[in-house]
Amino acid sequence: MIAFARRGDAITARFTTDEAALIQNLTAQLIGMLTERSDRSVGDEDPLAAQLGIGSMTAAPVDPALARLLPDAYRDDNEAASDYRRFTEVGLTERKIANARAVAMSLSGAPTGLRRTIAVRLDDPAVQAWLRTLTDLRLVLAERMEIVTDEDAAAERDEPMGMIFDWLGYLQATLLEEWEQQLWT
Amino acid sequence: MSGRFLFVWKRYLSSEASGREMTMAGVTDSPQLDESIDTSEQTAQSPDSPWVTIVWNDPVNLQTYVSWVFRSYFGHSRAEAERLMLLVHNEGRAVVATGGREEMERHVEAMHDFGLWATLTRSDA
Repeated sequence: MIAFARRGDAITARFTTDEAALIQNLTAQLIGMLTERSDRSVGDEDPLAAQLGIGSMTAAPVDPALARLLPDAYRDDNEAASDYRRFTEVGLTERKIANARAVAMSLSGAPTGLRRTIAVRLDDPAVQAWLRTLTDLRLVLAERMEIVTDEDAAAERDEPMGMIFDWLGYLQATLLEEWEQQLWT
Repeated sequence: MSGRFLFVWKRYLSSEASGREMTMAGVTDSPQLDESIDTSEQTAQSPDSPWVTIVWNDPVNLQTYVSWVFRSYFGHSRAEAERLMLLVHNEGRAVVATGGREEMERHVEAMHDFGLWATLTRSDA
């Protein structure tokens, strides 16, 4: 990878085809998880509700990773949490899917140059999508590795999934750093 | 590595589904904090008391990211965003906004967009 760098009003980077394929794979899985949930939430029993973005889900997902992406808004009030979820979960899910699609889209170019790398050029909305999707991916990976404490995260460092988790964190930190520099200059 | 390793939770569904739900509840919380919230939640609630947005600690989100979220979304200064981020990190949670219920619900939704774990509750709770 060639690190994120500011070029005019955009952020650029270059990824090897393997790196790009990995991110594509992860975002596709994330989109799959979220789509499964929203498909079940937006049923065809109530077309009007579906049109208004009101879902049928009243409880947090059973899968702890999905539950972390779509958490309860109220900790000690199940009724309020259910109401809130019916009115917001479909929209939240759709925005997360849109962000993940934007990330996949920005990696969809053909390999170029001597090293056959994939050039990425991120405008402001794309940067926002990347920052959020990198977070969502890391939340899911952490849940799969059952990371509860910072020490757990360190213990996974040498495992394949732990390396991906760290690498996505590196991408996020360097992207954020570069993008913030843009704001201050 | 399998092509769908983010989906591995499904292997738990047959026998351990209920156990897995418990894991989620314990992800970023210490039990002590849970208890303090649970007991205080029993106190009387006046109808016009303001609400608060609480952000909870997690072992995933980078400190620079959390601080950036507080700056970019709430418009906090760098110093204030750092202070709140450290509060979340060290105390396990921090109140990041106070106001009406609908406003706090919007904040919570925005925090969930960013992948931060946020809830709202009455401020006297």
